[in-house]
Amino acid sequence: MKLALKALLVSTALVASSQVAHAQVAGDSRLKTVQDRGKLLCSGHNGSFLGFAEVDDQGNWKGVDIDLCKALAAGLFGKSEGALEIVPISWAQRWPALQSGDIDAVIKVSGWTQSRDTELNLAYSQPYFIGAFQVMSHASLGAQTLADLDGGSICVAAGTSTERALATYLETKAIQAEVLTFENGDELRNAYYEARCDGMVEWAPSLAASRVDAPDGADAHTILPDVLDLEAEGIIVPENDADWLDVQNWMLSSLWFAEANGITSANVDEIKANPPSATIEKFLGVTPGYGERLGLSDDWAYNMIKEVGNMAEIYDRNLGSGSRYNLPRGINALYSDGGVFYPLIVD
Amino acid sequence: MSFAADFPKDSAFNKAKARYFATPTDAVVSALFAAFAVWILWSLANWALLHAVFGANQRDACMATEGACWSVVSTRWRIVLFGLYPFEEQWRSAIACVVMVVVAALSCVPWFWSARRLPPLWIAGFAIFYVLMRGGWFGLREVTEQNWGGLSLTIFIFAAVSLLGMPLAIVFALLRRSDLPWIARTMALVIDVIRSLPLLSIMFTFAIVMPFVLPDWAIGDKLYRVIVGYALFFACYQAEIIRGGMQALPAGQEEAAKALGLTYWHRIGYIVLPQAFRNALPPTINQFVITFKETSLVTIIGFFDVMASGRAASGNADWNFATIEMYVFVALIFFVFVFTLSRYGAYLERRLGVGRR
Repeated sequence: MKLALKALLVSTALVASSQVAHAQVAGDSRLKTVQDRGKLLCSGHNGSFLGFAEVDDQGNWKGVDIDLCKALAAGLFGKSEGALEIVPISWAQRWPALQSGDIDAVIKVSGWTQSRDTELNLAYSQPYFIGAFQVMSHASLGAQTLADLDGGSICVAAGTSTERALATYLETKAIQAEVLTFENGDELRNAYYEARCDGMVEWAPSLAASRVDAPDGADAHTILPDVLDLEAEGIIVPENDADWLDVQNWMLSSLWFAEANGITSANVDEIKANPPSATIEKFLGVTPGYGERLGLSDDWAYNMIKEVGNMAEIYDRNLGSGSRYNLPRGINALYSDGGVFYPLIVD
Repeated sequence: MSFAADFPKDSAFNKAKARYFATPTDAVVSALFAAFAVWILWSLANWALLHAVFGANQRDACMATEGACWSVVSTRWRIVLFGLYPFEEQWRSAIACVVMVVVAALSCVPWFWSARRLPPLWIAGFAIFYVLMRGGWFGLREVTEQNWGGLSLTIFIFAAVSLLGMPLAIVFALLRRSDLPWIARTMALVIDVIRSLPLLSIMFTFAIVMPFVLPDWAIGDKLYRVIVGYALFFACYQAEIIRGGMQALPAGQEEAAKALGLTYWHRIGYIVLPQAFRNALPPTINQFVITFKETSLVTIIGFFDVMASGRAASGNADWNFATIEMYVFVALIFFVFVFTLSRYGAYLERRLGVGRR
């Protein structure tokens, strides 16, 4: 009896001490791990995802997600060269790779859903891109909005969330349109190109790509402004790592802050030399505080802007007017330009 | 009296006439199929050759033509062959790939088929490959495994899986035939369990779940874990193929060898295995072909094998419309390797006289 009690005590003590040790490990932020390693491991793609992660002729990554990885690495280490490793991973691999430490953050057009947020032990930053489901239509029809396609036909991929979104939208707006469904993306696009339907529904960046690749030229097609539904894409880090999550949120905020204040990769040096306000002085690290509170160097925002530019530059280069897709920014613009994004307050 | 004189002379024309135009129905069917075949070949040639654009960086010409856009291949072939390997260092990947192919080709030559020649050849081959690809020695820049890609990676995975898997398969087959029931039954269970799992889930488990379970020192790089997992899968299938070859042998042979006083290893090494391999040659070649093709499954754990590299090569703003051409190019690469493999298999069968007993 006494022996059993003793064993019980010892084992309780063991369990307790192991729990303490565990708590200490969990308390170690990924931020610290990354800084000690001197290198950021960021998510890439196994293949490509148009506009967000592509491979150029020389095998270098480019795209919105890749630029955000570069910004993060530049913010942490001054510049991304030599401090950033893009790890190619598949969709299925995203979450386990994050938990096992193969990557430090998932920046891979991943929508914020409730099950991911709660059941998978993931933490989302504020969204950096709103993936809208929109409609593309033949320019010859002269449609300005989806309502103009009343009485026409619309193609959509079968059994997807886009199909559901289209049905709901048509119902609420009382638009009478015939919905044709197709099994896969290629069939869908070909049916639309062959004018079997007046409009086609897809995720906006995919629509932009289909428009560019249209056999009769991009100008023969218009993307209508109606947003049927949307998905908010954020940066994902492990749960319970507030320090690392803060860095993600403030990185995104800094990119918007720079855009709102007209700071670009071209003029950032000039503005740093003559800051127009005390806030911008602080933002660019002329006066201390902006980086230190996060555990970073004070000029981290300057380093990011210097390397990848502000959010508008990132968008234009990869999806907008500076790219082949020429996708209008729409709701992905700053609030002042009719979008939904905004910087947080720098104080 | 000779009947030979009654038959028409055996000219090519007469032969064709007898084969394809013997009756009016035959003639119509043959003509229809011939016309169909010509039409298919003509449209294919039209698309692939006559109206195709070949030069590099000719996107605009591609958009204008009806034909194939081989420009995507001539512009971005290096991505398919080398994946994400650093651009300036791709010569290393090229040499490493050639070394692997040469070693594989050499080990197909009968002169190398001995325990004293084959292992050193492969050890040297893998050593050169590793030093060239990985770098970090002799002033070569270090390139980690996750940046390996393209054809070199596919060939490396295939060679490593075959070389690890084959000896393992022999061991598994022998254990499964063991006289001790608990060994034979355990082995049978292991083989059947692994065979009943999809390769994809085995790869996923080895690449992604293993690091949570294994101690730190045993983790190694993802690439090697995947190779081990795949080799295990290969070995289980191949073990059953070898066992099939063994069971085709008359039991009397082994009994006679025992009666002569040969030891276990002599019986296996000189009597059983050589004949088992000869019996099992066709399915073994089959297994190699399948293994080569299934290496493209590693894309699910983020490796840039030929297939994923092909997708990345056509998947950008400039070339997204030319995916079919890129798939055709990748298919051609696979065809060259797999066809060579199956021709070599046919040569071996002739040489060993399989099916001529």
